[in-house]
Amino acid sequence: MQIAISGGKGGTGKSTVAINVAVELAKKFKLILADLDVEAPNDHLLLGVELQNEEEVNQFMPKFDYSKCIKCRKCAEVCEEHAIITLKDGTPFLMPTLCSGCRACEIVCPVPGAIQEGSRLIGHTYVTPTPYGFTLVTGKLREGEERSMPLVVAAKKRLKNLDYEILIVDTAAGTGNTVSKAIEGSQLLIAVTEPTPLGIHDTELILQLGKLMGIETWVVINRANLGDVNEVYRRAERYNAKVIAEIPYSENIVKTYVSGTPIVTTDYPEAEIFRRIAERIYEFLRG
Amino acid sequence: MQIVIASGKGGVGKSTVTASLLYLLKDEYRLIAVDADAEAPNLGLLLGVTEWEEEREHIGAKIARINTETCVRCGICQMRCPYECIYVDDEGNYVVNELTCEGCNVCGLVCPVPGTITLEQVRSGVIRRAITKYGFPIISAQLDVGRPESGKLVTEEKEWAKQIMKEQNLEHMIVDSAAGIGCQVIASVGGADVAILIAEPTPASLSDVQRVYKVVQHFHEPAYLIINKADINPGFTKLREWAEEEGIPVLGEIPYDSAIPKSMSMLKPFIEVFPESKASQAIREIAETIKEEIIK
Repeated sequence: MQIAISGGKGGTGKSTVAINVAVELAKKFKLILADLDVEAPNDHLLLGVELQNEEEVNQFMPKFDYSKCIKCRKCAEVCEEHAIITLKDGTPFLMPTLCSGCRACEIVCPVPGAIQEGSRLIGHTYVTPTPYGFTLVTGKLREGEERSMPLVVAAKKRLKNLDYEILIVDTAAGTGNTVSKAIEGSQLLIAVTEPTPLGIHDTELILQLGKLMGIETWVVINRANLGDVNEVYRRAERYNAKVIAEIPYSENIVKTYVSGTPIVTTDYPEAEIFRRIAERIYEFLRG
Repeated sequence: MQIVIASGKGGVGKSTVTASLLYLLKDEYRLIAVDADAEAPNLGLLLGVTEWEEEREHIGAKIARINTETCVRCGICQMRCPYECIYVDDEGNYVVNELTCEGCNVCGLVCPVPGTITLEQVRSGVIRRAITKYGFPIISAQLDVGRPESGKLVTEEKEWAKQIMKEQNLEHMIVDSAAGIGCQVIASVGGADVAILIAEPTPASLSDVQRVYKVVQHFHEPAYLIINKADINPGFTKLREWAEEEGIPVLGEIPYDSAIPKSMSMLKPFIEVFPESKASQAIREIAETIKEEIIK
């Protein structure tokens, strides 16, 4: 079973919801939390743990053997990213940051061995035990790399070798294809929003994505007292999405957020709201 | 001059600070604003734009499609897809997931039946232009959901902005970037003269702004820092310490102020509707420093 936590807009509280729900549900299930916000992964900071078990994510990069290359330009023609440029005489050169590692050039090259296996480090994945009885899997893109998709794929691949009953996926902001890659495979999508016109605008986009992917979608309204929640309810209804919780802006939440302590492990009254969200998910999981 | 505003982490106040800075600079300078968050564009909303004067469809994304009639179901495409975007549906047909396809065409190249897999150009989104009620133009983009390469939309936005700058003899482009450090942010930061980083005093924001600063360094651009929600986490000194160590000048601190979420609900820059608020006083000083130190 996989549950995705997303939200369209950045900073609405996706990670806060994800880590607290994970801590609660880990009491009942063998659980993994996957931080697939690979451009800005923060779940480990919110959980107060250091990333462990680092593995490199290397991406294929063509290495030209110029003694074999017949300068036919096929590699450059087939490269959708225009990462290979050719000189006047057809000699190919690679612009590494544009290369997506897809191997199209290698596939079309007519001379065996003219394109050799090169690689480039594009990021890391981590598998970190937490003191809360679940494992955190994190993907982290290397600074300067443009493509987050390969890191999302690599982190999801690493997950496959691990044993779990419930997988909670925390996605990046936005609604592009790397967010849908993170959500892919989920039975439930939870969109965390805030009731400002900006939050509502972006929530609508994530609701569209949930609809296109055919995934049951719920909405959590964060900082609910800072705007008009009725508008969120109306939009959610339009997409057949249930609003399952309202979280007020609270200094206690900020305090626990910055100290790396999940609020559900404290006695603050706000902890109960997160516990109830976890309870709703538990009921959903039990069918 | 091209100034990019970046933060790494989402929700730390890039767009709200940018909107108020634009408001404070608009009378003295001839500006153009670029909302470079193509996946969740908000700057236009905050500047009260309700109608766009011109909208250009951007056809650029490529998506593979499999013809089930001629497909021999060998499964090679699925095996070779670098991003695991090909699945088998209930009827046993190989299908490309259009919401995750990167358009690399590897499936088309390895397919043994010619013409079965084709790479089709599809709409990736729109780029729009408007004049804000404050008199300066804005360019904004909206990626269609599930499409790849929002960075290309941002590159195109900036090209359009440059063209308008030439035509209208404008001086400065202010680019409000997306969260993260990927293609959209690299397209936003690349070509800028100066980066203004925005962060809040939390471990998560510090970690993310450090990452985006590495991208800025890659382009050898001078960077400045604005500390937003400066008082939400008393005792957290690491953000300032980091800025000092790296030699990043701090342009100022903006306190947490309920005037900001209120102004967001009104879809107006906070400096316009709550000019006497604590946040407004702070941003006024920051704008002065920007005039003296950056724009000159």
